[in-house]
Amino acid sequence: MPPSASTPPLGVALVGCGAVARLYHAPALAALAAEGTAEVRALLDPDASHVAELRALFPAAAHAERLADLAGLGVGLAIVASPPSFHAAQTRELLGAGLSVLCEKPLAPTVAEAQSIVEAARTARGVVAAGLFRRFFPATQTIRHLLAQGVIGDVRRFDCFEGGPFTWPARSPDFFARSGFSGGVLLDIGVHVLDLLGWWWGEPLDVDYEDDAMGGIEANCRLRLTFAAGFSGEVRLSRDWALPNRWVIEGSRGRIVWEANEADRLSLGFHGSDVTIDGRLSAAGAPARTFEQSFTSQLANVVAAARGAAPLAVPADQALPSLALIERCYRGRRLMPMQWLGAEEARTARALGGPPAPA
Amino acid sequence: MRVAVLGGGGFIGNRTVEMLHLGGRAEVRPIVRHVAGMALASRFALDCRVADARDGDALARAFAGCDVVVHAVAGDPGVILGTLAPAFQAARHAGVRRIVYLSTASVHGQSPAPGTDEASPLRDDQPIEYNNAKVRAERRLGELRSEGGVELVILRPGIVLGPRSSWVGRFADALLAGKACLVDRGRGVCNAIYVDNLVHAIELASTAPVDGEAFLVADEEPLTWADVYRPVAVALGFALDDLPEAVVPALDGGRPRAELLRRSRAARRLARLLPKPVRAKLAAALGVAPHTAAADDPWMQPAPRPPVVTQEMALLYGCAHRLPFAKATRMLGYRPIVSFAEASERTVAWLAFAGYRPREATTR
Repeated sequence: MPPSASTPPLGVALVGCGAVARLYHAPALAALAAEGTAEVRALLDPDASHVAELRALFPAAAHAERLADLAGLGVGLAIVASPPSFHAAQTRELLGAGLSVLCEKPLAPTVAEAQSIVEAARTARGVVAAGLFRRFFPATQTIRHLLAQGVIGDVRRFDCFEGGPFTWPARSPDFFARSGFSGGVLLDIGVHVLDLLGWWWGEPLDVDYEDDAMGGIEANCRLRLTFAAGFSGEVRLSRDWALPNRWVIEGSRGRIVWEANEADRLSLGFHGSDVTIDGRLSAAGAPARTFEQSFTSQLANVVAAARGAAPLAVPADQALPSLALIERCYRGRRLMPMQWLGAEEARTARALGGPPAPA
Repeated sequence: MRVAVLGGGGFIGNRTVEMLHLGGRAEVRPIVRHVAGMALASRFALDCRVADARDGDALARAFAGCDVVVHAVAGDPGVILGTLAPAFQAARHAGVRRIVYLSTASVHGQSPAPGTDEASPLRDDQPIEYNNAKVRAERRLGELRSEGGVELVILRPGIVLGPRSSWVGRFADALLAGKACLVDRGRGVCNAIYVDNLVHAIELASTAPVDGEAFLVADEEPLTWADVYRPVAVALGFALDDLPEAVVPALDGGRPRAELLRRSRAARRLARLLPKPVRAKLAAALGVAPHTAAADDPWMQPAPRPPVVTQEMALLYGCAHRLPFAKATRMLGYRPIVSFAEASERTVAWLAFAGYRPREATTR
């Protein structure tokens, strides 16, 4: 909800001005600025060219050199969109300076670092939101309702296929360094997928995980998860080959089909009928939020929470279960079968792609 | 041997990286155009470099210390021709001994004449612009080689099959989307090579005592398109023989004129103004009567339209000549290392890996 005329816009800083800031946060900030809810006051990135690109959109924003400068620039909320290895330290420092934070996913590359953010948030004046923006999709919210109300009966199984050739405009090779991001497609896309599964069904009882890392980071992975209600399903993620990008949840009475990232669409079918409800969602007579509008909605929620006007939809601690599950997967990883490899190749692949050595 | 693979994120480049690295055959350095292209190479702990293949300075830095450069850059004619001089000059500057360039059997056309081999003259006025670009690329590379400093070996593979091949993936996608078709029931010759056999040829071409030669390379077995497609169809729960026959375009390019006319909105609007008997006769003359009638009649279920293949595909599917690889055998010592049967099994295994499921179980 837009603020009253007497409420000044909340000052916002973008900490990290790379691709995710440029493609997603900047348009969302521009939308909130247009309605007078938020105002970009500062941009911070070690690469001046990244800052310059965003200053073209937000000319009034200062080029900040240090996090410590932000409070003095009238910033109340910082969006941390830097590489994940910086998330924990930057978020803690920002909280210490009294700011609120929207931290991009993954909240941190490890549970321990993410936990340090949650601990810091407990005593901080500001709030910390995890950037798990798929929870703002009308489709994922509707699926949650459908499941909670048993519309398709008891869940029997689910399948989630997501991915395709990697096209994210990453600018640094560090994105793929094992020591940099510390993970591949599981940490990148999987953090969203596992968050949704946990949001709908709670923590899985069991997980079986395999990927194709052979000394580096995985481009493909497969998880088999079993939940407390007794059903299981498969998650297949890829940076390699175009997958159907589809979720299917089979129930005793019907099925839900959702095309990943279609924020405002889903399909519902029932056993015994070959007709499917395949449609666009609406809210209060208007079209439901799109993918882009969901991003804006996430930011609006964090701005409102930073002002104390609304509860946070996705507080930082809600990012912990999916990160813990990812760590569990990496600890117990196996090499995916790749039966097209020759015998000698397969031997080397097994040697390179075995479970990681204990830290 | 240290090998730089230019285009290391693509289908052939990636498999070259995989095979040489996992097989312990060479120290491999993948080179990709954008950071995003590192996704597959990053599965390994390799010295992957980012360099635009049109940027000679960036290439020279990326080639430093390498003995051989495999040029496996895919792209449009601009990319094909724009990456040659920078790569050659960078190789010379970096002290690279040899460039192995991946050309294509299509320099001889999609449907080469009987008797075609490496000695056959190449034409750059073919109807498919890709072929012309590759012909010009080979000529340009010959000029660059004549300036000295770097050896050159050119490989001309045909249809490259295997895991991550677009020929396999596109056909699987078409099957699952209900859009797969055949021409002449798949009886045309498919000049195919399994990607591992091609990488084997690349390895031989990197070291064999030859320079300035071009080689056709192929699988051992004579294959038809039906041979190639059948294992994919079976793996996905389809019978190849059930696929519809495609409409083949007129040879002057694009879709056949009757088909274009039938699909034109203006023509269909005009047709509705004609008396029904006239309309039926006209439609019959165009060979499209049932479809036009169904499309215009709100009481009828829409009938499926016959698939139409491009001119390039029509030429490929109509191929009658099997290209030889005797020269590669004689001068490189090339013999395919993977049989077609084994190649098919491996390809089907990859389909499962990539998430393709048989039709009965599919959720696509």
